[in-house]
Amino acid sequence: MGYAYEAPGTSAVLADIIQQQISEKGRQWIAAQLEAWQSKGTLQTFNIAFTAAPRFLGRDEISVPPAAREALLPRSADGYTADRLFRVWWLLQLPVNDEAAYVQAIENLFNAGEMNELTALYGALPFLAFPEAWKLRTAEGVRSNIGSVLEAIMVRNPYPAQYLEEPAWNQLVMKAFFTDKPVHLITGLDERANPELARILRDFSRERRAAARPVPPMLWRLVGPFLNEDNFEDLERAWFSEVHAEREAAALACHSSAYPPASKLLESRAGMAAEIQQGLLTWETVAARVNGQ
Amino acid sequence: MDTIKGMRFFDPHVHMTARTTDDYQAMADAGVKAIIEPAFWLGQPRTGVDTFRDYFASLVGWERFRSSQFGIKHYCTIGLNSKEANNEKLSEQVMEILPLFIYKEGVVGVGEIGFDDQTALEDKYYRAQLLLAKEAGLPVQIHTPHRDKKQGTTRSMDIALEMGLDPHMVIVDHNNEETVKEVLDRGFWAAFTIYPFTKMGNERMVDIVKQYGTERIMVNSAADWGISDPLAVPKTAALMLDRGISRADVELVTYSNAIAAFAQSGQINVADFESPAEIDQSLKFNGSTVLRGGQQPRPNKQSTIIR
Repeated sequence: MGYAYEAPGTSAVLADIIQQQISEKGRQWIAAQLEAWQSKGTLQTFNIAFTAAPRFLGRDEISVPPAAREALLPRSADGYTADRLFRVWWLLQLPVNDEAAYVQAIENLFNAGEMNELTALYGALPFLAFPEAWKLRTAEGVRSNIGSVLEAIMVRNPYPAQYLEEPAWNQLVMKAFFTDKPVHLITGLDERANPELARILRDFSRERRAAARPVPPMLWRLVGPFLNEDNFEDLERAWFSEVHAEREAAALACHSSAYPPASKLLESRAGMAAEIQQGLLTWETVAARVNGQ
Repeated sequence: MDTIKGMRFFDPHVHMTARTTDDYQAMADAGVKAIIEPAFWLGQPRTGVDTFRDYFASLVGWERFRSSQFGIKHYCTIGLNSKEANNEKLSEQVMEILPLFIYKEGVVGVGEIGFDDQTALEDKYYRAQLLLAKEAGLPVQIHTPHRDKKQGTTRSMDIALEMGLDPHMVIVDHNNEETVKEVLDRGFWAAFTIYPFTKMGNERMVDIVKQYGTERIMVNSAADWGISDPLAVPKTAALMLDRGISRADVELVTYSNAIAAFAQSGQINVADFESPAEIDQSLKFNGSTVLRGGQQPRPNKQSTIIR
């Protein structure tokens, strides 16, 4: 089956962005790489260009024009550096007629990857062919302790929500909380909320309180739809917290719940309930408050 | 730290391969007499069995020698860590070479093993290694997960019992306020890692000892390549004394209990570190010494002769 989306069009969009924003010398280097790859077709040629890109293209951030951003959706190249954008495009030049050879070639890049290469590779997951082949690799990436690698998987990356099994998905979300990543930027966060994740996060909130450490307010977003007698007391602790963002998060969680005590609790703070109704209090405003924006 | 002068410490979990000779020196100066280095991952996944073999060999080889050069007795536990257990092909190869290492002299347990993500593969290799430990009559050092910790800890103990292990042969590591009660109630050893930010702080540790006492409780540093403190055990001992815990109790949780737990391997002879041989840093391991280019050995302060 190869690609599960219209890859040639995406490849052309990426090529355009690169061509418009790199130096003449960089353009020449890319042309030479492409020529060598098309004439020789050896993996060595492919690997050299992938690895050497920052030496010839630099690591300046590229700005993605609005039309290109629109065309790439649900994928995103926002904030990519020149070498990273090239690497994603370059991966799209790999033939997809032989699945085993394709997967092996990319797995080799992962196995030999340094930090920036890994960031590019994990961010490229939604661009790759044979999407079913990368589930274990994605779970492996979530085990990483390197911040930029984790963000490449977690932030604005549509692959995990679409392909990960529930345990691996829950692990990703939990790790995002654990490593202070911007959880609200995880693609598919609400769609993939589930009772087991709510249970894990409730336990996490108890552990943090026992250690006298702060509880991330965004956690209640994923507990809210599953409020019940097992976690309502935990939510009440957020509701009565000294931290404003926690109280707001508790209110939003109540709003997303069908559990009658939660609705009743929310009614007791009419002001907050009204702000939610008017769209003045949302998970986005809580995220902005938490991140000090 | 003056209050702990003359006391001796045993750190049953510290990854010295990630630390410097300055750390060894500071540990020795603070009274650390012996340590256990559990096998773990190196911050990123290995891609071949040979790097596992070399790592295990270094734990019983070069690292043990390096430690001895500072007067610290080095033991280790050997195992396939939970993170890397998720690579099935590689794990099969590692399981094949594990017996070559777990029966070596000075290997005091199988560890650190257990759960990270709590996947099916982690479950599979955790069970397989519990069997290896049982056959070898070795203690097991269990790493409990950072995430979904409470359930992961309960599950680790359930499986150990199901596989027929005696809880007294199992050290459950990285406990906190939420896990300690169940671990002790079920008869396991409870280890606490004093590690800034992500695990326990030592003020919380003082409260735990005040609440739960000292039976089957031990403290370690788990110092590694992260922001951690190889002096966590002596510092915690000092804080416990400052906050009114008796010296006898402090000794139990920072020295004797860990020895009692891991000596069940038959591989710890306390005479080796309670009355150590003189340290000679000019000794060599396969031709290598810890001294480099013109460096002088640290003088023996016990000696009255000055050269």
